[in-house]
Amino acid sequence: MIEKKHLEELGKGSLLAFGEIFNGKLHPSAIEVLTPLKELGLKLDKKVVLVCLIDNLKSFQDLEVLKKSIADEVWMVCHQELVHFKDDLYAEVLIEIVKKTSPYGLFFPATSLGCALAPRIAGKLNLGLCAHVNHLEVEDGKIVMARPTYGENIIAKLISKTTPVMATLSIGAFSPSYGEREPKFFEVAMPEEFTWASKIKVRNFKPSAKQPNRLSTAKVVVAGGRGLKSKENFKKLFELAQLLKAEVGATRPVCYEGWVEEDRMIGVSGVTVRPKVYIGFGISGALQHTVGMENSEFIVAVNTDKEAPLVKMAHLALIGDASKVLDLLIKKLKK
Amino acid sequence: MEKIILCIKGVPKPGTVKVDPVTHTLKRDSLELILNPPDRQAVEMAVRLKENYGLKVTVITMGPPNVIPLLKEVYGIGADEMVLLSDRAFAGADTLATSYVLAEAIKKMSPYSLVLMGLKSIDGETSQVPPETAALLGLPSITNVKTVLKERNNWVVLRQTEYGEEELEVEPPFVASVLPEAFDYLRPPSLKRLLEVKEKDPLVFTAKDLGLSSEKLGLNGSPTQVVDVFEKKFEAKGQVLEGEPSFLVEKLISVLEQKGLIHR
Ligand SMILES: Cc1cc2nc3c(=O)[nH]c(=O)nc-3n(C[C@H](O)[C@H](O)[C@H](O)COP(=O)(O)OP(=O)(O)OC[C@H]3O[C@@H](n4cnc5c(N)ncnc54)[C@H](O)[C@@H]3O)c2cc1C
Ligand SMILES: Cc1cc2nc3c(=O)[nH]c(=O)nc-3n(C[C@H](O)[C@H](O)[C@H](O)COP(=O)(O)OP(=O)(O)OC[C@H]3O[C@@H](n4cnc5c(N)ncnc54)[C@H](O)[C@@H]3O)c2cc1C
Repeated sequence: MIEKKHLEELGKGSLLAFGEIFNGKLHPSAIEVLTPLKELGLKLDKKVVLVCLIDNLKSFQDLEVLKKSIADEVWMVCHQELVHFKDDLYAEVLIEIVKKTSPYGLFFPATSLGCALAPRIAGKLNLGLCAHVNHLEVEDGKIVMARPTYGENIIAKLISKTTPVMATLSIGAFSPSYGEREPKFFEVAMPEEFTWASKIKVRNFKPSAKQPNRLSTAKVVVAGGRGLKSKENFKKLFELAQLLKAEVGATRPVCYEGWVEEDRMIGVSGVTVRPKVYIGFGISGALQHTVGMENSEFIVAVNTDKEAPLVKMAHLALIGDASKVLDLLIKKLKK
Repeated sequence: MEKIILCIKGVPKPGTVKVDPVTHTLKRDSLELILNPPDRQAVEMAVRLKENYGLKVTVITMGPPNVIPLLKEVYGIGADEMVLLSDRAFAGADTLATSYVLAEAIKKMSPYSLVLMGLKSIDGETSQVPPETAALLGLPSITNVKTVLKERNNWVVLRQTEYGEEELEVEPPFVASVLPEAFDYLRPPSLKRLLEVKEKDPLVFTAKDLGLSSEKLGLNGSPTQVVDVFEKKFEAKGQVLEGEPSFLVEKLISVLEQKGLIHR
């Protein structure tokens, strides 16, 4: 049993993070976003709290994961009406928590649910919201957030003039970390007068047939860009991936071309990877892509252009035709 | 007649974006505006709803007057009415300040059944405007929408997320952002409608027309602020090899071996 607390009894001025739970399972991003928030918390002397919404504690399957997390506290809101994700209701619950506990920061993973919720709350409370942040720091006691912007290799640093500071955090941009001390768990007792109404009714749910790929945690990533020239060439990456026990990644244009599913996209709009080895075939290395792979331990670039940014960034750059190198590599590895 | 409000954004054509190396601001004069590609999906959805249920479509955008051709393009595809929200005071708006203007304008267009938007823009790419606008209007919002249909008096929405597909029943009016993969076929503008729209102008509303609070507008009304913009430079840090594919592959294989990925 976990201790139940009224909103008024919960600590004020903390850094809150939304711990996404869907059908009783915790989204891995819940653990990832705690890493930078803990650093902020230490610098700003604020507690880090993960806030989870669920229908019933009994249906939660990842309690053990949360026990190992580096959050100082975990607040669980449990109510039958939370069994399905409903944008308006979930937002109202969080808005109530914000009103009563005056947090210093409020953060969401940039998942589809996080990106649906955070702006509703920002709109309702008239707060600034920074999108797809992949770096957080403290300058003069203020939270400064960085995100890549368009115009090739430009990064913008943003602040928010309103409190709580709000941001959605890029998925995979931060590594998970675990603590020695178990967080304190509280079940949040919402006020009597809170209405659990929603204008959305979930009639049916069909889970995705395919398993989500393991790109963000892969040890080896083989990625392809426009320099591979065709879908047929791109597909060969899957063959290479099998030989190297790797996952396949891609740049945005080739996903938009339909060479591969969008969940393989690496970068600001996709996932962040940090493998031991990353091999990029025919990828120029635009900032929007490289922010998603720059922390790879060893980077290989295959490109015809010596001046391509990824070539400059690589530990090993091979100047040549990407599909020829790919073909030959697969042939040799098969031997 | 029931009405759909369709929100579209003009975005710089990819490749025409230039940053002034001195001021770090966008060079506006070199910009060529196009209809935000994900908004084409919202346009298609609006026109299909119009055909199926006899709704009227009002297309609306906040932006400088050079977005008017984009409104006309959408009229050409099937919108019935065009609205431009334009004022110097709107410049530099973040998503909250943008959503404020959109929400106030949409309020004035009541009654309407739904507001359709793209999932995200290809420039700011926050995907925040649809839910933020909905919150300001006090309406439900649903993101990642694949299909909208009407069953008698109920609106039914299919939403696609990483977890799967949800079938939702939503009380109108509501705001939906449309999935970029919603439709394979996007109809082009019709010639007849393009000719017709030549003679037409959009309704234009300024901040004053809408009775907006000046402190909530544009750059000053935006809670998020850019404090620094910098360019990331890459220094060559590794080995650069040129030669025949066989030589390159040999080298790569030896590196992969060193890293313990393969064993010969
Ligand atoms: C708001 C925004 C968000 C974005 N988000 C992302 C994101 O999350 N992820 C992402 O990847 N991109 C993103 N982009 C796009 C990004 O800016 C680049 O356009 C993209 O990463 C480039 O993809 P590419 O390297 O495949 O293509 P290109 O830039 O066209 O590069 C192709 C490369 O292949 C090389 N090449 C050509 N022929 C050969 C050959 N025969 N053999 C070998 N090499 C060859 C060329 O020299 C070139 O370097 C975003 C853009 C914007 C505006
Ligand atoms: C590189 C960059 C980074 C930015 N980062 C942030 C940030 O972190 N936080 C923030 O608050 N703002 C940010 N902004 C500002 C933001 O892009 C603008 O406020 C913009 O007006 C709307 O946001 P969006 O382009 O992200 O739209 P999105 O929310 O991605 O657009 C979704 C849909 O909303 C509708 N829509 C959007 N704008 C309009 C419009 N003007 N008229 C009609 N319909 C519209 C369209 O249907 C569109 O498809 C950033 C801008 C840039 C260029």
